[in-house]
Amino acid sequence: MPSWPAETKYISHATTRVDGAAKVTGKARYSSDIQANGWLYGMILRSKWPAAKITDINLEQALKVPGIKAAVLARSKEFTVRYYGEELAAVAGTSKQACLDALRAIEVTAQPLPFVVNENDAKKADAPRVWENGPNYKEPNARDRGDVTAAFGQCAAVIEGFYSTPVQTHNSMETHGNTASWTDDGVTAWSSTQGISSVRDGLAGSLRLEHSKVRVITEYMGGGFGAKFGAGVEGVLAAKLSREAKAPVRLMLTRFDEALAVGNRPSSFQKIKLGAAADGTLLAFDLENYGTAGIGAGGDAGGGGGGADIPAPYLYKVANTRVKQAAVAVNAGSARAFRAPGNPPASFGIESAMDDLAVKLGMDPVELRLKNDPNPIRQREYKLGVEKFGWKEKYRKPGSSPGVVKTGIGCAGAAWPAGGPSKNTHGEAQINPDGTIEFRLGVQDIGTGTRTVIAVVAAEMLGLKPEQITVKVGDTRFPPGPGSGGSTTCPSISPTVFDICAKALQQLQTQSGIADARGANWFPACKKLGVNSLTVSGQWIEGLSSNPAGGVQFAEVEVDTETGLVTVKKMLGVHDCGLIVNQLTLESQINGGIIMGMGYALYEERVMDDLSGVMLNPNFETYKLPGIADVPEIEIVLINMPERGVIGIGEPATVPTAGAIANAVANAIGVRVGSLPITPAKVLAALGKVPPVTA
Amino acid sequence: MKEPEPEKFGAHSRRTFLKSLGTVAATTATAQVKSVAAELEKVNAEKVIGPEAVPVTLKVNGEKLKLLLEPRVTLLDALRNYSSLTGAKEGCDRASCGACTVLINDAPVYSCQKLAIEAQGVEITTIEGLAKDGKLTKVQSAFIEKDALQCGYCTPGFVMSVTALLKKNFHPTAADVKHACAGNLCRCGCHPHILQAALKAAGVGHAAKTEIVNYA
Amino acid sequence: MKAFQYATAHSPDSARQLVADNGAYLAGGNDLLGLLKEYLVTADPLVNIKSLPGLNKIEDGRKAWTIGALVTIAQIENHADIKKTFPGLHEAASEIASLQIRNVATVGGNLAQHSRCWYFRQRDVKCLKKHGDLCYARSSENRYHSLFTGNDCISPVVSSLATTFAALDASAIVLRDGKELRWSMAELYAEAWKNPYAHNSLQPGDLIVRVEIPTARSRSAYMQISDKHAFDWALVSCAAAAEIADGKMKSPRVALGSISPVPHQSEAANSFLDGKVLDDATATQAADMILKDAKPLEHNAYKMPMAQALIRRTLLKLKGDA
Repeated sequence: MPSWPAETKYISHATTRVDGAAKVTGKARYSSDIQANGWLYGMILRSKWPAAKITDINLEQALKVPGIKAAVLARSKEFTVRYYGEELAAVAGTSKQACLDALRAIEVTAQPLPFVVNENDAKKADAPRVWENGPNYKEPNARDRGDVTAAFGQCAAVIEGFYSTPVQTHNSMETHGNTASWTDDGVTAWSSTQGISSVRDGLAGSLRLEHSKVRVITEYMGGGFGAKFGAGVEGVLAAKLSREAKAPVRLMLTRFDEALAVGNRPSSFQKIKLGAAADGTLLAFDLENYGTAGIGAGGDAGGGGGGADIPAPYLYKVANTRVKQAAVAVNAGSARAFRAPGNPPASFGIESAMDDLAVKLGMDPVELRLKNDPNPIRQREYKLGVEKFGWKEKYRKPGSSPGVVKTGIGCAGAAWPAGGPSKNTHGEAQINPDGTIEFRLGVQDIGTGTRTVIAVVAAEMLGLKPEQITVKVGDTRFPPGPGSGGSTTCPSISPTVFDICAKALQQLQTQSGIADARGANWFPACKKLGVNSLTVSGQWIEGLSSNPAGGVQFAEVEVDTETGLVTVKKMLGVHDCGLIVNQLTLESQINGGIIMGMGYALYEERVMDDLSGVMLNPNFETYKLPGIADVPEIEIVLINMPERGVIGIGEPATVPTAGAIANAVANAIGVRVGSLPITPAKVLAALGKVPPVTA
Repeated sequence: MKEPEPEKFGAHSRRTFLKSLGTVAATTATAQVKSVAAELEKVNAEKVIGPEAVPVTLKVNGEKLKLLLEPRVTLLDALRNYSSLTGAKEGCDRASCGACTVLINDAPVYSCQKLAIEAQGVEITTIEGLAKDGKLTKVQSAFIEKDALQCGYCTPGFVMSVTALLKKNFHPTAADVKHACAGNLCRCGCHPHILQAALKAAGVGHAAKTEIVNYA
Repeated sequence: MKAFQYATAHSPDSARQLVADNGAYLAGGNDLLGLLKEYLVTADPLVNIKSLPGLNKIEDGRKAWTIGALVTIAQIENHADIKKTFPGLHEAASEIASLQIRNVATVGGNLAQHSRCWYFRQRDVKCLKKHGDLCYARSSENRYHSLFTGNDCISPVVSSLATTFAALDASAIVLRDGKELRWSMAELYAEAWKNPYAHNSLQPGDLIVRVEIPTARSRSAYMQISDKHAFDWALVSCAAAAEIADGKMKSPRVALGSISPVPHQSEAANSFLDGKVLDDATATQAADMILKDAKPLEHNAYKMPMAQALIRRTLLKLKGDA
C-alpha cells in the first residue's frame, strides 16, 4: 500500500497559489473573458410568465436588427413554460446592444396559465398544477424505526418546533455561460463549469455529436458551488447560435438570468418533535418536512433537479424515529446541487431542536451533543472547540445577557458523508530533458486551488519547488477527471499525482540510471533523457485518500433587541480533513464555507411574489450576500489526521454555520427565531415587539 | 390572485433618429460668449450625438484607446467587449457587486454603471495597469501571500478598491478596509484574507488565527 | 438599455433645451442607468450635466451652507468642515451605498432618485407606480415598504440625504424653466405623497441645482438600520437636528426615511421637543408622536419598534458630550 511521506516540505504547509499572479493581475482568462476570433455576443430571451402556453415565437424582426447574425428557439414555437425566466429563444450579434434590441424585437404570443410560486399554496389540493399530470405535493416518503409514540411517552423532556429555511441561490460571481465555436471539426466550448467532462457529454448529447467532436476548455472559472455541472440550456443555445452564425458566440447569463434559471438550494419546512431522557439521551425523533425544488420537485427537472429531502435526524443516534418528507412543486426555477446538498437545512433544523431541548432539559447544549453524537472525531472537535472558544466562561442561560444589546453563543455540527475520491481520475506528466515538467489533468479549478494542490503534491514527491511544476487543467483533451463538487477533487487528484510521480521516478531511474531522481538529482536525470521527453500516465490509487469529513462550529453573536440587528462577533470552525495538503487554501475554503453559511443564516432568501409569480429579488440589491462588513473574526482549528489520507473540506465547512448562529441568537434573546434568514424583522417579531396588524 | 390576461411582448418599433440639432446650436449661440474659440467648442460639446456609434477616446492605464461606441455602451462593456481589457469583470451590471471596479482619477467606481462616452478625458486605471513591467504591486503581492482569493473573479475589483484606499490612507484600520471594500462582493468568502491582505499591504501585521491539532 | 442620443450641456439653459420633453439629465448615473437597463423609463437624449458651472461646490456661510447639486456623496463624506458643522449629514453620506457609488453619485441624483420598491424595479411587473392598476406590495411582499402614505402606492422615499436635509430644514433650489424654486424637503416630495406615479415633485425638465442648509442647528445626527452592516438600503433611517442651549433643545427637527413617500416628520413632535431637556422618556414620547397614525401592513410592522428605537437613539445622540 502506498503512503504519504511522514516528513514533508510542502504537503501540510502553506503554499501560495501557483495561479495567484494571473488572478491578481487580470491576466487569468475566465470563460467570460474569451474573445475568440470573430466572436459574437449572445443573449437569451426568457419567459415573463410564471406559467403559460407559448403559441408562437417570431424571430423575424429580431433577425432584422442591425448586427444580429443568428436567432434560435430554445425549444420550439409552441410549448408550455412553467416558471418565470424559462428560456424561449436566443440571439447572437456583433454587440450586446444589438442583442438587447433584438430580444425586444422577438414577438412572443402566449396564453398565460394559472401558477403557484409558494410552497404552502402549492400544497393545497386545489392549487394550480405545475405539471398537469400530477399533484404538486405527493404522498410523503415515510420512514419509521422503533416505536416513536411509545418512546415520546418515556421522555423526560419533549420539544416541538417549526424550523424553516428559504430557497438559496448559488450566485457565483461569474454567471453561467460559455463561448461556443461550432465549425466543421466540431464544437469547442470555453465553458464556466465545474465539470468539463459532464459538459462535454451534455453538449455532445444535446447536439448529437460524437464525444470526440466536442472539446470543453475551462482555464479559469468564477465559482460554481454545485450549479455548474451541466452543459445547460445556455451552453446548448450558444453552440446552436454559433452553427447558425458561423462564428464563435459568447453567451454568458446576466445576473437576472442567473437568479432565475440555473439552480438553487431547496427550501425546507421542518416540523420537529424531539424527546430525551432526563440524562439527555435522545429517545424519539419525529420529522415532517417539505420543501420546494421548484419545477424540479414535480417532474422532469430538465437540468439536474433534486428532491427537497434532508438527512434526518442527521448526526444523532436516536432509537425511535419517524421521518416524513416530500417535495412540493412550484412554478420557479429548478433546484440543483448546492454545496453539501440537504445538509445545511438538516443541520439548521436538528441543531435548533437540540438547543431547544437542551434548554428544556436544563443541560449545556454541548453536553447534549456529546451525549448523542456517536462520532468520535466530532466528540474530540467539540471538546477542543469548547476550550478554544471559551464556551464554559461565555455560556449563559438563554436571554440572561444584560442590556439592550445581548450576546449569545451557539454551536452546531456537520457531516459530509458523500465526499471522498473519484476513482476515475487520470492524469499525465510530460518531463522534458531540461527538467521542466508539465502535469495535465482533465479537472478544473473552481477556486479551491486545484492547480496548487497538484503542484504541492508533485513538488513534494519529486523534491522540486511548487513553482517548478507547470500545471495544466481544464481541457477535455487531457486525461479525464471528475467534476469539482462534493468535496471530491482534492482526494481524487492528490493520489493521482502521487501515482504519476511514482511512475515518473521509476522510469527516470530506468532511463537515466540514477537511482533516486528526486531533488538535486532531478535535472541530471532529466538530462539523460537525451532528445526525447518522457510522458507518464497515472491514475487514482487506493490508500491515499478517504472520507467522510466533518466538523463543528461555534458562533458568538450580538443581538440588538431594539432594532433586531444581529451581528456575528466571532466564528470558530473546528474541522477534520485528514491529511492537510495546503493549509492556506484549506483555510480559505473553511472561511468561505462559514461566510456562505452566514449568508444562509442572516441574509439570503429567494423571494417569489404570489400575485405576479415573478422573483422579486433577482439581483444583488435585494438578494443579500454577506459583505466584508458583516464578516466577523473567524478562527479555525484543523484536526490533522494524516493517517486518513486526503479528504475534501468544501462541503462540511458551510453545513453547521447557520445552526450555530441561530442557536447563538436564541441564546442571546431567550426565544427562538425558527426561520432563516434571521432578519431584524424576525428578531423583533420573536421578541414580541411587533404590533399586531389590523387589516 | 389576479387572473393574468393573454398578451404579447416584443415587437417594438425601432428607434427613430429625428432629433433636430438646429435649435440646440441656436440656443447656445445666445449664451454669453467669451471668445469665438470657446463658443465653437461649446457648440460642438453641446451637439447631440448618437444614437449610432460615435468616436470615443478613453485613456486607460496611460494609453489612449480609440473606439467607436454607441452612447449607451458602458465603460465596462467598452473595456471587455470593444477592447481586450477583460480584467475588470462583469458580475451584476447593476452597480452592486464591485467586480467591475476601476479607478477614475484614482477613485474607485463601478465601470458597469458609467457610460464610456462620459469617461473621456479622465485617467482610467484597470487591474491590467497596476503591475508595471511585470512587477506586482504591494497589494497584489499581499493578496497572493494571504490567499485573499479563491475563484478569483471578484479579485480584480477588490484589488482596485484596496489599491485606491492605500493611495489615500497609508495606515488604514480594519474598519477603514471594511468601509472601502463594502461595495465589493465575494461569493467564495475570502473576506478575512482580503482584510489581512489589505492590512499586510499597508504594513500592518496580523497574528494567524489558525491552529493545527493532531488527532492521534 | 435602449439606444439614445447624448449631449453634454455647459449651461442650465442649454441643458434644459437639450433635455426637451423626453430627455434625462445624467450626472452620477447610478439611478438613471439602472432604470434604463431595466427598461423602466425611456430617455432620449441623455444630457450630461456634470460640466454645468458652479454646481460641484460646497460653500460655507454664516447663515447657511450651499451644496451644489453635482457635489458627490464622497465629497460630503470627506469634507472635514461638514463633519464638524453638520455631523448628521456626514453620517448619512458615509452610510450611502458603497464607496464606488459615493464617488460618482451626486446630491441632486440622490434626492431625485426613483423608487426602490422591488415591484417597481421588477421589469415584468406593471405595478401602480408604473401606471398599472394594482399596488402589488400592499397585499403581497411589503417588508421594505411605507408605514405612512397618502395614496395607494406604498413605496417609500429612500434618499437618506433627504431625511437629513429635512431634519436640518434645508431647501432644495430647483430650476424650472429658467426660474428658481425654493422647496423644503416636504415640498420636494409632496407630490409622491398624493400621486402614486410620482417619486417626487419634480416635473420633466426640472433640475435641482443646489441645496441650502441653514446653520441654525449646530447638533445633528443620523442613524439607519439595514439587514446588513454596510451597502444595504435602510429599513428605517432617522435624522435629527437641533440647537442645544443650557441643556435644552432649540428648534429641534426629526425626520425619518424609508417609512413614507416623503421624509416623515411630525410638527407636533418637533414642537413638543422644543425647549425640552433630552432624556430617554422625552425621546420616547417624541417617538410615539412621530409614529402616531402609522398604518403598518402585514410584513412591515417591525418598522414600528425599529423606528421607535432609532428616533430615541438619534435624539439622544444629539446630546453627545459636547
